[in-house]
Amino acid sequence: MIDSSALRVNQAGIVLTVAVAFVGSAFWWPAVWLIPLLAAVLVAGTIRPELALFKQLYFHVLQPRGLVRPRPEAGSPAPHNFAQGLGGGVLAVASLLLAVLPAAGLALALLVATLAFVNLAFGFCLGCQIYYQLGRRGLIRA
Amino acid sequence: MSVQVTAALIAAAAAAVFLASEAWRRWRGTRILQAAPAAVARDGAYILYFSGEGCTICRTHQEPALRRLQGVHVEKVDALREAELAQRYGVYTLPTTLVVAPDGRPLRVNYGYAPASKLAAQLREAAQLT
Repeated sequence: MIDSSALRVNQAGIVLTVAVAFVGSAFWWPAVWLIPLLAAVLVAGTIRPELALFKQLYFHVLQPRGLVRPRPEAGSPAPHNFAQGLGGGVLAVASLLLAVLPAAGLALALLVATLAFVNLAFGFCLGCQIYYQLGRRGLIRA
Repeated sequence: MSVQVTAALIAAAAAAVFLASEAWRRWRGTRILQAAPAAVARDGAYILYFSGEGCTICRTHQEPALRRLQGVHVEKVDALREAELAQRYGVYTLPTTLVVAPDGRPLRVNYGYAPASKLAAQLREAAQLT
């Protein structure tokens, strides 16, 4: 069972954080530090779900106060966790690039945010498709 | 500011490349379908629906759309469990829906979510072809 509202809050958190980092960096460059921070949050949340900041925000603040309604659905959380980890990994690479090629680092972070937005708005999860392809080829146990 | 503009341009170019590759995969999928072997023959045109456990959009969008097509036989296939069948029809993304003619010929393929209106039009077309 998965709660698609938790996934959507997670996606919205990614989009918002990268947007703040991108726009903020035009005025105050250290705002880009939000990108490695986000990478750490996503990777940590993939390894230990209780460290998934945006999902915790949903389960402990937004949902109990009735700000976001739960939407439980049958399904496995594994592809979504994989997608989150992949996003975190790409943002980690973006963070490293920020030090040497700032435009490339920001571009990579923007791509992750764009894909999170596409998932949020249209339900297309690229990470889940990659998970399916890897499972089909027997590279992961899907 | 120039760093942000450059980054936005790079990201837009990468997104364009991604969209072009998606278009190419869809085109290639259509070609695979033309050469694909016949599916099971039935009394009327039907839908072969490829889904999977981790496919959220399958449950939130595709399945409600399929339920709206009343009286149409929908054969649901788990793309991971039936990997060979998925491979045969070039299924690279989930959901994928195939409109199959009564004689088993696969006629149309939809990679990604296909709304009920689109499927209904394809089924009408399939019925006229046979």
